Amino acid sequence: MPIVSIEDVIKIYEGKVTHRALDRLSFDVEEGEFLAVMGPSGSGKTTLLNLISGIDMPTSGRVMIQGTDPAALRPDDLARFRRKELGFVFQDFNLLRMLTVEENIVLPLTLDRLPVAEMDARVKAITARLGLEDILHKRPDEISGGQEQRVAIARALVHRPSIVLADEPTGNLDSNAAREVLDLLGTINRENRTTFIMVTHDPIAASYCDRVLFIKDGAYYNEIHKDDRRRTFFQRILNILSLLGGNVDDLSSVRLP
Amino acid sequence: MTFRQFAYRNVVRNRRIYAAFFLASVFSVMVFFLYSMLMFHPGIGERFITGITLIGMTAADVVLYVFMLFFLFYSMRAFMQARSGEFALLLQIGMERRQLGKLLLLEMLLLGAASTASGIVLGFTFSKYFFMIVRELLQLPALPLYVSWEPFLMTAGAFFSLFLLIGLLSAYIVSNRDISEFRKGIGGEADPFGYSPGRAAAGILLLLSSYGAALLAGRVNVLYLSVLLPPAATLGTYYFFSHSILYLLDLFRDQKSLYWKRARIVSLAETAAKLRDNANMFFIVAIVSTVSFLSVGTLASLATYTAQYRALNPLGLVYESFPGNPDEYEHVTGLMEELDDAGLEYTHVPLSVAREDSSFSGQPINILREGEVNRLAEALGAGPVQLSPGEAIFLPYSTEAAPRLRDADIRTELEESGVEVHVQGVVGGLLLPAYSLGTNSIVVSETDFVKVASAQPDSLLRIHAFDVPDWEETVGIGLSIEQSMMMSEIQQGEALPYYFKNPGLDYSIIRSTFHLLLLTGLLVAMVFLLAAGSFIYFKLYTMLDRDRRQAAVLKRLGMTEREFIKIVNRQLVPQFFLPWGIAMLHSTFAFISLQAIWKEFADISILKEMALVLVGFTIIQLLYFYLIRWRYLAHVKGPT
Repeated sequence: MPIVSIEDVIKIYEGKVTHRALDRLSFDVEEGEFLAVMGPSGSGKTTLLNLISGIDMPTSGRVMIQGTDPAALRPDDLARFRRKELGFVFQDFNLLRMLTVEENIVLPLTLDRLPVAEMDARVKAITARLGLEDILHKRPDEISGGQEQRVAIARALVHRPSIVLADEPTGNLDSNAAREVLDLLGTINRENRTTFIMVTHDPIAASYCDRVLFIKDGAYYNEIHKDDRRRTFFQRILNILSLLGGNVDDLSSVRLP
Repeated sequence: MTFRQFAYRNVVRNRRIYAAFFLASVFSVMVFFLYSMLMFHPGIGERFITGITLIGMTAADVVLYVFMLFFLFYSMRAFMQARSGEFALLLQIGMERRQLGKLLLLEMLLLGAASTASGIVLGFTFSKYFFMIVRELLQLPALPLYVSWEPFLMTAGAFFSLFLLIGLLSAYIVSNRDISEFRKGIGGEADPFGYSPGRAAAGILLLLSSYGAALLAGRVNVLYLSVLLPPAATLGTYYFFSHSILYLLDLFRDQKSLYWKRARIVSLAETAAKLRDNANMFFIVAIVSTVSFLSVGTLASLATYTAQYRALNPLGLVYESFPGNPDEYEHVTGLMEELDDAGLEYTHVPLSVAREDSSFSGQPINILREGEVNRLAEALGAGPVQLSPGEAIFLPYSTEAAPRLRDADIRTELEESGVEVHVQGVVGGLLLPAYSLGTNSIVVSETDFVKVASAQPDSLLRIHAFDVPDWEETVGIGLSIEQSMMMSEIQQGEALPYYFKNPGLDYSIIRSTFHLLLLTGLLVAMVFLLAAGSFIYFKLYTMLDRDRRQAAVLKRLGMTEREFIKIVNRQLVPQFFLPWGIAMLHSTFAFISLQAIWKEFADISILKEMALVLVGFTIIQLLYFYLIRWRYLAHVKGPT
C-alpha cells in the first residue's frame, strides 16, 4: 500500500485571476521511497507540498497519507497529525531566531508533551548522528548555512515522522554544503526507511533520489527511476528538463533579507 | 514622478504600517489642543487658571511634549528597523544617502502635517463636549465654545517643531549607515538572553530596598526618604527591565521540566526577545505611568477634601466687624439683600464678642453670650447650652480641640471686668469656622456677659453669622466686600476694620482647582497609556512579516490554533502588563509611604480614591489589550 497517494487532485486559486495550480494530478509514493518533484517555476510544486501537509485543501480529488485524508480532519487533529507523521525542511531553514539550536530541535517534542529525559535522549541521538553536538547552545545567527540546514533536518527528524517534506532544501546552500545535506538525507532515507518527498529545481539534488517526478503547469508530465550510476541518472534528468521547457537553471531569484 | 511625489506615495501606500503611529500622534495632538483651548478660554482664564492650576497645566503640556518626543523617536527607530530592507534596496539602485535622509524627512513632515491637522480638527470637534464636562466639574453657568487663533497656533507650532526634529534626527541616522548595515537590519536580533548578572542583581536589590524603605516611611526621616527613594527606584526599574527580567527568565530556562513544555519554549524566548528589544521604552512607560498614577491619585484624594471643608466651615457667610467699623450696617444689609436677590434661605445671627485676659493662662480669651450662641446653635441644628451666673463653657476652635477641652475644669478671673467664672466642658460641635476667633473662646451666662460688656463697651467685636443651607450657592455673594479686602491687601495699607469670609466661594475655587488638575492628570495619563499601547502595536506591526513566517513554521510543526493563541497571549501580556504592573507596584508602595506622611498633616485617607484610580486604569488597559490582540491575531493569521 502506498504511504502517500494523490488521486486526481485539482487545486484552483480564486482571485482577481483564477489560477489552476494543479490539474488532475495523480501519483503514489511508496514507503521508504526518496521522491523528487521537479518542474519549472509556477508548475505547482509548492502547492503540492501544501496539500500533502494539509496546509491547503484540494479543490477536488483526494490526498491520502497512510490511509488518512488530511482534508477530513478537524483543525486540532490535523495539527496533531502533522506533529506525529510529518517533518519539514525549508529552503530558508526557518529556524526560530531567538531559540538555541537545541531548543529548535526539541520544539516538536515539547508540543507532544514527552518526558524531559526522553526528549534529552532523542536530541542527543539525533545531534550525534548529524554532528551538531558542538553547536547545541549556539543561536541560528552564529552558525553557517549548512549547519542551519542540518539543524532544520534534525528538527524535522527528531519526532520520527513517517514522511519528511523538503522544499528546495539546498536552494540557499553552496555546493559543498548542498552535497553534505543531500548525502545526509540519502543516508537517513536508507537507514531509517523514512519517506522523503523533495521539491527541487536542482538536477544535482534530484539525482540523489530514487525517482524523479516531473510536473508541468500543474499536470503530470513524466517520471524516471534512478539507475546504477548517478552520473547517467543526472544526464537523463537534464534531458527531460530540456524537453520540459522553461529554464534548466531556473534558480529562484536573488532575494534581499 | 518627482522626489516629493515618491515620498508622498511611500506614506500613502504604506498606510497600514503608519496607521498606529499616526493614530497615537493624532490623539496626542488632540489632547494638547484641548488643553490649549482650555488655557486660552476667555471665560475661564482670569477666574480659575491662576497660580497652581496654570503651573499644573503648563507642566502637563511640557510633559506631553517631551513624552511625544520620546514616543516618536522610538517609533521612528522601530520603523526604520522594519524598513531597512527597503532602504538597502533604494541605496542599491543608486539613491544617495543624503537623498534617503531627505526622503525620511519629507515623509515625517508629511505625517506630522497630516496628524497635526487631523488632531486639531478632531480636537476642535470635541471641544464643545470637553467644555461641557469642564463646566460641570467647575460648576460654571456656561462655558461657550470660542474661536481664537492662540490654541491653533500653539498646537500646530509645538507639533510641527516636534516632527521636524524627529525627521531631521532620522535623516541624520540614516545618512550615517552603510548598505550592509541595512541589509542586516538596524539593531538586528541580538541574543535575547544577554544580560549582566551584576546589574540584574542590582535591579532587584534596589527595587526591594526601595519598597522596604517605603513601608518604613513615617518612622524614618521623611526628607531623607524623599530625596533618596525616587532615584533609587528609578535606577532599579531601569536595571529591572534591561537585566533582571532576562535573568529571571534565564533561571526559568534552566528548568527543562518547566521550560520544555508545550509551546512554552517559544513564548518564553519570544517574550525575552521582545522585552529586551523594548526595555528602554518599557522603562519609560513604567516610570511615567507611576508618576501619573501618583498625581491622579493624589489629586483625587484632595478632591475628597469637601467633607472636611464643610466640617471646618459650618456657616454660609461670616462677617466680622472690629470696633470702630463705620461700614458694618451697610455691609450687613448689603449681604442680606444679595442673599434675598439670589433667592437663598438664610438665618442671620449677630454675635457680640468681648475679649479679656484670663488670670488662669495670662492669655487673651474671647467671651461670647449664652443667648446668642444658643440662637446660632439652634440655626445649625445643635443643642443649646444652659449656664447659671458664674458658670462658663468652652467653645472649641477646631474639631480636634473639642475632645481635649471636654474634661477641662478651670476657675479663672477675667482681669478687666473682674468677673470670676468656672469653665467646665465644651459646646458640642463647631459653631464658627475653625480658628476664626483665634484659640480660646468661652460662653458665659447672660448676667456675666452684661458685666463683661459694660467693663469695656467700646471694644466689643461683632460677628454676623449667616447660616445658609445651600452654602455652595453663595459664590456670587459679597463680591464687593471681598474685592475691597483684596485691594487693601494689595496696597498693604492699614488693616481694615472688618473681615469677611465666604466659604462657598473659597470652596468653589479650591474645588475647581483640584478638578482642573485632576482632569489634566487623567488626560495625560490616558495619553501615556494609549501611546504605550500604540507603541507595542507598532512594534508588533513592524515585526509582522517575521512573525507571520514564524507562525507558518509553527503550523507546519504541528502547533494547534489554541497553542498558537496561547503563544500570542504569552508574548503580548508581559508587553502590556509588565510595565503597567511595575507602575502599579511602585505607586502602591509610594502611596503607603505617602499615606504615612499625610497622616502628619491632615487626616485624609487616600486609600479609596487610589483604589478607584488604579481600577479605572486597569479596565482601560484591559480593553486596549484585547483590541490590539484581536488586530494582531487577524494580521498574523490573515493572508499575506
